[in-house]
Amino acid sequence: MIEVKSLEKIFGDKRALQDVSFQVKKGETFGFLGPSGSGKTTTIKILTGQMRQSAGTANVFGIPVSQLNTPEYRKRFGVVTDNSGLYARLTIYDNLKLYADLYGTSLQRIDEALESVNLGSEKKTQVAKLSKGMTQRVLLARTLLHKPELLFLDEPTSALDPANSKHIHNGLKELNRQGTTIFLTTHDMEEADHLCSQVAFLNKGVVQLLDEPKQLKKQYREEIIGIELKDGRELELPLKASSAEEIQQYISREMVERIYTKEPTLGDIFVEVTGRELV
Amino acid sequence: MTFSVKRFMAIFQKDLKDLYRNLYVSSTALMPLIFAVIYSRIGEVPLAMHLFVITLSLALVGTFLQCAIIAEEKEKNTLRGLMLSPATLTEILAGKSAVTIVITIIVTAVSMFIMDFSFTGRGWLIAGILLSLVFFIALGTWMGLITRSVLEASVYILPVMFIFGMANMFIGLADQFSFLQVLEYTPGIQLEEIAEFSEAGAGFDELWKPFAIILAWVAATLVLAAVTFKKRMMD
Ligand SMILES: Nc1ncnc2c1ncn2[C@@H]1O[C@H](COP(=O)(O)OP(=O)(O)OP(=O)(O)O)[C@@H](O)[C@H]1O
Ligand SMILES: [Mg+2]
Repeated sequence: MIEVKSLEKIFGDKRALQDVSFQVKKGETFGFLGPSGSGKTTTIKILTGQMRQSAGTANVFGIPVSQLNTPEYRKRFGVVTDNSGLYARLTIYDNLKLYADLYGTSLQRIDEALESVNLGSEKKTQVAKLSKGMTQRVLLARTLLHKPELLFLDEPTSALDPANSKHIHNGLKELNRQGTTIFLTTHDMEEADHLCSQVAFLNKGVVQLLDEPKQLKKQYREEIIGIELKDGRELELPLKASSAEEIQQYISREMVERIYTKEPTLGDIFVEVTGRELV
Repeated sequence: MTFSVKRFMAIFQKDLKDLYRNLYVSSTALMPLIFAVIYSRIGEVPLAMHLFVITLSLALVGTFLQCAIIAEEKEKNTLRGLMLSPATLTEILAGKSAVTIVITIIVTAVSMFIMDFSFTGRGWLIAGILLSLVFFIALGTWMGLITRSVLEASVYILPVMFIFGMANMFIGLADQFSFLQVLEYTPGIQLEEIAEFSEAGAGFDELWKPFAIILAWVAATLVLAAVTFKKRMMD
């Protein structure tokens, strides 16, 4: 679906992307993770034909992004960025109707799309009266109208409360199950962990790590067993034969409250790999 | 290059609906009507007064409306969404132009109705107005492409209004201020000539000159708008 090789983008004397390479296969939910200013939005802009790269190649649907500017290709993907706008004086319905007409989809899709972002009852509401989270959900519904094969989402849940994030997450999972490939940027590691089949860590314009979340967590798991004792003490023992006897003693003396292995979060792994917090 | 009538209509309908609720911009369209009401109270007014209101209407409605609705799409980040949809910039601008043309024609016609001015038997004048309308819309399109907000559009429209919209009034001062003689060449004054010549029974052998001057304006602004448009398509 997406093939990016040695992508570079220079703004004046600033290098936003240095050497970005990755592939997204059909059916994946690909998480593009990185701190603010790492080049996530820049990458989406290049992939959707809103900006030209300075060097390197980027193909979407197997063709160079520079050739993506035809109505036929535009019907195949959808984009929500943090600076997408709606017509504030029009109702939610009228905003979506415009896009349903532009994409040539049935008007029935408007109701379905609004339902999927939990806004079925707000059709007649003027967009100017919506909260930021609701606006973001309308934008999402707008890109779902034409059931794109490929969906680009730039921090889709950054303005949402947990309940609505969850609703959107479920919607995206369902969409992915139906075959939509999703490319999403986020700095919410839990979101990435929950949704993505592949994640790439972007730092200072370079992809530093690319793998399945499960693999990453396995790879970066600390070889340690944690034991919480009933008297409140917490111990960390190496996950080795030498610890077995000690652990057995605690168990046989019924001193153990809880035993656990230490699973790193994607956030922990990011800090370890890049030496940077994800903010 | 594809052109979809369906997408053009979608933009047209949206802009019409949006404009209806946009008091700031649509109230500007009332200006020519207000002038028309004032002049209609005066009683017998010269032909030049009618042409003044017609030209004002073309500049204030045609150019400003076009410029403002394009600029607002940029200001509110909605143009980006349209550009990422299957709609082409040509369809988007055509849809907007259609809205502006319809409203300009209505406002001009209603103003003249208020002023008791009949267009019957004035085919040459109608042709001149329609040709000038192309110039004013192209000017508005170009300005819309270079301005970034409605506020900026309201500032940029001022010189346009004084030079092109009110030329028919300022030309009266050309005897005192000779630099104002350049206003002779504005489409508004040329329309006035068309009206006066044809009133006097002139044929195309005399009328070709004002038409040629307006046509030159049309060509110049179309080229300007097209060049800017091409540049915008790139980034
Ligand atoms: N149009 C532009 N002109 C100049 N510099 C830019 C432009 N767009 C982005 N940049 C720079 O490129 C770098 C990457 O920006 P980008 O918006 O891609 O980051 P991001 O990862 O999306 O950040 P965030 O999480 O804050 O959205 C930043 O340093 C930014 O200042
Ligand atoms: Mg960003």
